[in-house]
Amino acid sequence: MPRPVEKLVSLTINGNEVQAPAGMMLADAALKYGDVEIPVFCYDAKIGPPVGACRMCLVEVEGIPKMQAGCSVAVTDGMVVHTDTPTVKAAQQAVLEFILINHPLDCPVCDKGGECPLQDNAFGWGGGLSRFIEPKRHFEKPLALSPLIAIDRERCILCYRCVRFSQEVSEDDQLVLEERGADTFVTTFDGHPYVAPFSGNITEMCPVGALTSRPYRFRARPWDIEQAGSVCTLCPAQCNVSFSVRDERVLRVLARDHEGVDDGWLCDKGRFAYQAIHVDARITEPMMRDGGELRPVTWDLAIETAAKLLSHAGANTGALVGGETTNEEGVLLTHLMRQTLGSNDLDSRPGGALDLELLRALSSPTLQASVPDLQHAHAVLVLDCEPVDDAPILDLRLRKGVRHHGVKLFIASGRPSALDERAAHSARFAPGCGEAFAAALGAELAGQPSAARAAAAGAEADDVVALAAQLREAGEEVVILWGERLTGGPRRNEGARALLNLAAQLELDGRDGGGLLEIPSGTNSRGLREVGVLPNASIGLSDALAVGRDSQQIGEALAAGDLSAVILLHSDPLLDQPSSALWQQALGKASAVIAHAAFLTPAVLEHANVVFPAESYAEKEGTVVHPDSRVQRLRRSISRQGETRAEWALLAELAARIGNDPKALTGSMVSARIFEQVPFYAGLSLDLLGGVGIRWSEREAAASFPSAPAAPFTLDAPPAAASPNGLLRLGSFRSIWASPEVEASPALSFLHPRQRVEISPADAERLGINHGENVTVASNGDSVTGLAQIRASAPDGTVFLQTSIPGESAALLEGPLVEVKRS
Amino acid sequence: MAWDPDKDVIEVIRGPQKAGGAGGLYRAFGETLRGLKTTFGQLRMGVDTIQYPEEKIPVYPRFRGRHQLHRFEDSGLEKCVGCSLCAAACPSDCIRVVAAENTPENRVSAGERYAAVYEINLSRCIFCGYCEIACPFDAITMGHEYELSDANRSDLIFTKEMLLAEPLERTPLRAEGE
Repeated sequence: MPRPVEKLVSLTINGNEVQAPAGMMLADAALKYGDVEIPVFCYDAKIGPPVGACRMCLVEVEGIPKMQAGCSVAVTDGMVVHTDTPTVKAAQQAVLEFILINHPLDCPVCDKGGECPLQDNAFGWGGGLSRFIEPKRHFEKPLALSPLIAIDRERCILCYRCVRFSQEVSEDDQLVLEERGADTFVTTFDGHPYVAPFSGNITEMCPVGALTSRPYRFRARPWDIEQAGSVCTLCPAQCNVSFSVRDERVLRVLARDHEGVDDGWLCDKGRFAYQAIHVDARITEPMMRDGGELRPVTWDLAIETAAKLLSHAGANTGALVGGETTNEEGVLLTHLMRQTLGSNDLDSRPGGALDLELLRALSSPTLQASVPDLQHAHAVLVLDCEPVDDAPILDLRLRKGVRHHGVKLFIASGRPSALDERAAHSARFAPGCGEAFAAALGAELAGQPSAARAAAAGAEADDVVALAAQLREAGEEVVILWGERLTGGPRRNEGARALLNLAAQLELDGRDGGGLLEIPSGTNSRGLREVGVLPNASIGLSDALAVGRDSQQIGEALAAGDLSAVILLHSDPLLDQPSSALWQQALGKASAVIAHAAFLTPAVLEHANVVFPAESYAEKEGTVVHPDSRVQRLRRSISRQGETRAEWALLAELAARIGNDPKALTGSMVSARIFEQVPFYAGLSLDLLGGVGIRWSEREAAASFPSAPAAPFTLDAPPAAASPNGLLRLGSFRSIWASPEVEASPALSFLHPRQRVEISPADAERLGINHGENVTVASNGDSVTGLAQIRASAPDGTVFLQTSIPGESAALLEGPLVEVKRS
Repeated sequence: MAWDPDKDVIEVIRGPQKAGGAGGLYRAFGETLRGLKTTFGQLRMGVDTIQYPEEKIPVYPRFRGRHQLHRFEDSGLEKCVGCSLCAAACPSDCIRVVAAENTPENRVSAGERYAAVYEINLSRCIFCGYCEIACPFDAITMGHEYELSDANRSDLIFTKEMLLAEPLERTPLRAEGE
């Protein structure tokens, strides 16, 4: 449904005339428009509709004989509200006295003490006395609700916030209230630990200290810490976060509510993986390979050696750039590669380069959907991606859209999606056949026959027909949320054309509230492309003077000996690139591997000659670009750990030593240079970006975005999906937990994935595989072992394995068919 | 008003013109003797000098000297739960508390948490006693010790063990009514 039109009504709050949008809850309207605070516990607009459980917000409304709960009364025209009469005061004091009857007075040992809404409300609105002398209720405490969350049931005031979060926001339906009356307590419905991708949010929502974070348990009190706002760069969702810093250490990550990005929620990776900043496993000093082993060396020696190796290799150097790289680092790397070493072989996209024309068409500002569009559009098509793994916070946004705004959700993916049960229609296709499916759907929407393409995609023809029909009927505002996988395979250009055709069929170009929204593979993929970290584009997506090798070709050239050195900037090709066999060979042959890394991931550990410590996201300054074109600013929150140095400075220093000083004296100088050189960023500045960022596609300067060819394109017939024929199709996915930061964080390491082999019940029965036993997946002599996981929703004839995990990664296997057997 | 030199009166006091005789002797030594009378008169008052550091002045019961942390007498557990309220109250920001969680194997305090690090920088402390007032468990009190000079500033950062220990020498306490 499109965004509701706001209609203002006028009401009187404590004698003052106030204008507020109709339908807004009184407690919100009073605070926002009337500057009157109505105390609340259970209500928060972002959890959803009010339940009026705590009765803290009682107010008098003229014409209604009894007091009303301010959180659940919508404002209406001519309403007269009193929040400061003796009756209201007496009610507030009575409610607080009632709430405090069973609340233990252990504020000195409670982690919430000092930032506790119950303390604040008791201080601001309470009577200060209790008539209750009987013993309070007692529960066993403290208990672990999950390895990440501690629960103290005595402190609970039964506001339902956590339960509503679990049931209505993250929709994992795990938390419930058991028993009744004073015996009520929060628990999971089956008594198992509450492990879910968004579980940490309930510690932030809890208005008392009943749910607290275990990693933060007793670490600091509110007056010991400082809040430092920045952006999380652990996934492309780029949620706005606030670091709690004490003694130059990040102790906690809180959400920094930004409606345009994260809606005030965080995933558990974003909330708890900060621990990886302060672990011993992190690289905090430069290292060099000496006798086969990496040993710490001085900065001078490391830079000197790296400069020597690079100038020796000269134009025979390649560079792979990972998603956590900022725009500034990207620009300085292109300076190092293109202007200093004379090499155009650099890439930030895994898999291979996309035609520049198509890339421009896909990033076009007129075709760009925003994150809030996901919640207000008529329909959202999730195409070849899994939001909860690829950009978790978008999963919550889609659920909110479906639940509260009537968005019709359509899913087309190879692997069953967590959102399937919320979807109006889900279609499955064979893994890696997103292109064929998009082509089939585009053809169906254009009224052409689609059955052949659907068959090529390994999808049901009826699915395509039904999806197209529903998509056409849903409305004109359609957002296509697509994963980079669609344009990452060998037929990436065809994938992009099929997607652009689909967008053209739905007339999304220039449509307000609709468009394309990509989930790229790397956090700052979009920014890196726009500043020219591509083999075929230079800064501002302009034509490159000379086209270099893409990531796939860099690997091949290294293996063939055409390239001799490679720079790995926050990138581990053994984890990120589709084929680890190629990269094993490539890195083995390379005479110089220079890595910037925070952890000893496989490629760094085995192949790097010089390793520079990478800054963590809390130590970085610079800019990144959100997939919906929002340029956001990273701010340094803590001092750099160990001997870590600023990476932009290191890249500038390397170029200077080789003989072409980029003359970058500060990080902000480089940012200013980017805003000057990228035509569609014109007029931006770090000050302008501030804490919330700016979407460049909404500014006037977006008009200078390079023009792109218009759809429709003619598509060649996609190759048919491999027929299983007794074997199984290989599909791969990257879990939300597959990252070195998760592995290194003590609190999260229990979630770091081991290889799981997802298989359908029918296939499992046919192959005689039981749930949870070790199985081997083999193709062409390579094999991977993992635990069998029989998933009821998995499509028959397909097996799904994880990529981006060290060891048994799916990247070791060559598809499309694999053999699965018990090991 | 302008100054008129004629209106100024200068009065000159002169001593006796005639020297010698008993009066002269008195004028010469009388005042000296009067002073000596005070001097010798003190002889019978005894000695009031306190022989510090061998002797010390007793302090009042509410004297605010160096802080002390306390344990429960029966269980021996620390009273401090590491709530950090003293650090919040401290106007000179000289208290640092880092808390940790009690475990059944390692129970330090009576509550869920205890102070793993409790440091007071006594070179910054102004002995205002706000920490004592803020403490919800009477775990920290202002003691009576005031001999806090040291040769090294870092030695004036008192750790939890130092604050929990009894002072090496007990400062004498003033008796009731003294």
